[in-house]
Amino acid sequence: MELIYVRMRNRVYVKLNQEVKVKDVVKVIGPEDIVRKLEDITLLEVKKEDKNIIIIDLVQVIQEIGRMDGELEVQTFGPAQTIVEVVYEKRKFSFLFFIGVWMLLFIGTGITIMNYHVDVSMQEVHQKLFKLITGREDKSPLLIQIPYSFGLGLGMVLFFNHFFKKRFNEEPSPLEVEMFNYQQDLDQYVIMNENKESIRQIDDR
Amino acid sequence: MMTGNLILVAVIGFAGGLSVGAGFVAFLTVLGLLPRLTQLTKTMKMIHYYEWAVVFGVLAGGWLSLQGNILHWNQYVLPIIGVANGVFNGMLAAALTEVLNVFPILSKRIGIQDKMVYLIMAVVFGKVIGSLFQWIYFVNL
Repeated sequence: MELIYVRMRNRVYVKLNQEVKVKDVVKVIGPEDIVRKLEDITLLEVKKEDKNIIIIDLVQVIQEIGRMDGELEVQTFGPAQTIVEVVYEKRKFSFLFFIGVWMLLFIGTGITIMNYHVDVSMQEVHQKLFKLITGREDKSPLLIQIPYSFGLGLGMVLFFNHFFKKRFNEEPSPLEVEMFNYQQDLDQYVIMNENKESIRQIDDR
Repeated sequence: MMTGNLILVAVIGFAGGLSVGAGFVAFLTVLGLLPRLTQLTKTMKMIHYYEWAVVFGVLAGGWLSLQGNILHWNQYVLPIIGVANGVFNGMLAAALTEVLNVFPILSKRIGIQDKMVYLIMAVVFGKVIGSLFQWIYFVNL
């Protein structure tokens, strides 16, 4: 009895109508001739009905391996399923669309910061601060407020790590971490909901 | 009677300060501003001093805003305070989890993950221009 090790890959990209073989989704380690035969098994063919995500579960792979050679002993490690993402032709990047989103963010955040300033009585605080430090009254203390406004932008840029991009290459910025977390949540969802092996419907529903 | 009132008022004031102070620190902690600053400047070891900076900043701000003293400093200290104020607020705005969650979802929906920088720039310019517009023009309407 031969021993083989299999490890599912986390995420693979395929094209439409492509045959997904074992070697695309699984790393197999074992005697070379067996591995070569195993890797060539076709698991499925990507069809249009599959939309853009297919989940291949470890049990499907083990089933196929068993069908080929029931004598093999399979040791598994790593993730229990692979997310197969079907890459369709890249959506054309619409410049107009982009400008729209850009303007939305620009105007939206501009108004939001104004609302925030009114909400926390920023004007009043700045006036008081001006009085506190200089002893004079000033209805609009621009000497604080203009540096403040530019500082606002600088603070955001600092937080999103764009000045220091080159210098701290290894450490991800908060935004990158957040993107990663979001992707993980999405993956978790599709693993549970797109996986045929983890859902069993009642027949007459 | 009088002493009793005084003690009561002092207790109420102390309790109010205690909860506001705790709330303020909790707010800062949730936003993760200090870790971010130490990460940028590589001064993780100094984090305890930064904590004290926050405490003293809150104490000084609280005391000065409640007392109405006048310091008679040179007016050119003000831009320094203004910039510090702005950077801090900008980082707060950037750190707000809503802001952080907007970008991943938005960029995924419209499929422009590689052009994220421009979207961030939109937000940054929006904040700066909105703020300038308000102080220079809007408040005088």
